[in-house]
Amino acid sequence: MNLYEYEAKQLFAEGGIAVPPSARITKPEDLSKVHLGWPVILKCQVMSGGRGKAGGIQKVKTLEEGKEVAKKLLAMTIKDSKTESLLVEPIVNFKKEIYLAVTIDRERGCPIFIAAADGGMEIESNPNVQTVPITYPFHPYQGRALAHLLGLKGAVFAKVADIAAKLYLLFEKYDLDLAEINPLFVTEGDDVIAGDGKITINDDAMGRQKKFDGWQDKHLVDLPVRERRSKKEGLNLVELDGNIGIICNGAGLTMATMDMVKKFGGNPGNFLDAGGGSDQEKTLTAIEIVHDNPNCDVILLNILGGITACDEVAGALVEFMKRHPNRKMIVRLRGNNQDKAEKMLAESGLKLYPDIEDAVKAAVEAAKTKQPVAAR
Amino acid sequence: MILLDKNTKVVVQGATGKMGSSHTKRMIEYGTKIVAGVTPGKGGTTVHGLPVYDSVKEAVEKTGATCSVIFVPPYGSLDAGFEAVDAGIDLIVLITEGIPPQDTAKLVAHVKANGVKMVGPNCPGVITPGESLVGILPGSIFKPGATGMVSRSGTLTYEIALALTEAGIGQSTCVGIGGDPVKGTGYQEPLQMFNDDPKTEVIVMIGEIGGTAEEEAAEFIKKNVKKPVIGFIAGVTAPPGKRMGHAGAIISGGKGTAESKMKSFEKNGIKVAMTPKEVAKLVGECLKTPAKA
Repeated sequence: MNLYEYEAKQLFAEGGIAVPPSARITKPEDLSKVHLGWPVILKCQVMSGGRGKAGGIQKVKTLEEGKEVAKKLLAMTIKDSKTESLLVEPIVNFKKEIYLAVTIDRERGCPIFIAAADGGMEIESNPNVQTVPITYPFHPYQGRALAHLLGLKGAVFAKVADIAAKLYLLFEKYDLDLAEINPLFVTEGDDVIAGDGKITINDDAMGRQKKFDGWQDKHLVDLPVRERRSKKEGLNLVELDGNIGIICNGAGLTMATMDMVKKFGGNPGNFLDAGGGSDQEKTLTAIEIVHDNPNCDVILLNILGGITACDEVAGALVEFMKRHPNRKMIVRLRGNNQDKAEKMLAESGLKLYPDIEDAVKAAVEAAKTKQPVAAR
Repeated sequence: MILLDKNTKVVVQGATGKMGSSHTKRMIEYGTKIVAGVTPGKGGTTVHGLPVYDSVKEAVEKTGATCSVIFVPPYGSLDAGFEAVDAGIDLIVLITEGIPPQDTAKLVAHVKANGVKMVGPNCPGVITPGESLVGILPGSIFKPGATGMVSRSGTLTYEIALALTEAGIGQSTCVGIGGDPVKGTGYQEPLQMFNDDPKTEVIVMIGEIGGTAEEEAAEFIKKNVKKPVIGFIAGVTAPPGKRMGHAGAIISGGKGTAESKMKSFEKNGIKVAMTPKEVAKLVGECLKTPAKA
């Protein structure tokens, strides 16, 4: 789950990392209640990146101008992400911008610091970026080692080292996938302040991070409707441009099935991994979600039962075909209780393909004609 | 065969839970030498005729188990893994899905510091067909043979094993290393073991989008592996920036695409198959011409 900038800064402040004074507004007229002096910066609170380039950050000199600009910004959508609110901050005069982040390095299998003494835009292509593995158990000297590597001295060395250590502690405490400060301002007076922040909380940790209970709904607003519904049901859906709906058990098999559809001349309409061991109800939900996609002319269900029982899947199919008897459905089922499943499906008039290639080819063939509208 | 044989003594952590219990039964039926279960607080009871102990240490002392398969819930897995390492287990197979990656990173650091092997998390386990099955793989689709398999995926591995078995090609050992970004064992260790294993003639490596593990493994193969390797990559049609089910399956910043992985395979002498059946076909061709040991 990604957080908005203002939420990230609340976490920074909680962790003892300096942030600029600020106010958050959801209506232009609320700007009159903000007392930060003038000029101020208005920043769109969105989930997408590239906010500055898109015009989502504006400097305003007076209240009147501010209200006018705020009205425009609040109505903005940046890369499919609707502005949730505006963050109002005074202007920070800085002499230096640092990049600082903590994330997990999948190849090394441990957390790392990523940092650059010259932060700002285009961090991916910055040649001065340092990556430093973090070892367990963490001690603050690892922050000092990083600050040294960045070539910092004196008060700024001490402050950046302290912030790096505090950022790691937040990263660990809240099970973050990413904690990023960019830019980290160094002011003329050698204060070090987080100018912007990005935080991603690990989805698998949401069950134990009670602080974020109930935050999911608000933070999934930018997801398409059916992807949001899937996420709530514990299913993994990604929608694509094609017209063949795909449901499988297991992520690798789902991707391989999509690839085979493409190879045999079809176009996958989605990725839906129903997971291992799904029961009848969850399988039915998965089929219904794919069925609801108006671009979907045929549904290809490919289940290779390891821990998934075929009769549970068949039960879901029987129920689904009762509700939507005209839906074009290609079923490949193989594994535990296959015989039982076959009998159940025969009664629904569904043919069962034991071979994956045969099933994919049948789906591609069926997708050449449109699903009749009456079937929905 | 690698990692497991019919004499490997296995303890099941979480053997009395719903998933642990049903798979313990299936592993016993397959012929795996399961010697005990561990569930704190249930010591002294039995599960499927096996003794249950309160701790891994006790189970190891009483049974001489060297391998532990873990079926505990995600937030208990870090603790369970540490317990297995500290009890002197040599091989941990961590099945659990949904472990926060920082927990896995802590466990991996402990595992490495103690010279223990860990397969997983979020993996189907390991099978040496006809000898031992540790995990949740469906035993019936595998058969003994000379093809070693290493894979990041579960059901896709079954699909490819099925294609091999139906083509009359058996497997020496199949290792499911798991779909998480942080894991105990990557590709290279099993690849090296298959290379050194006299019973393995051909190796099948199954990858998917995300990260650069396949690219690194391809370079490793060119340098170190003398046996033929057939590669398969899932996710050619996956869009960038979207997580495709597995926590590790995401193309970010242009890195981790199927195309990059396939190119790297071809560059390093690994034949790339486009479908499970083609994997079987390519393996079959290699088996006819004996491996250059």
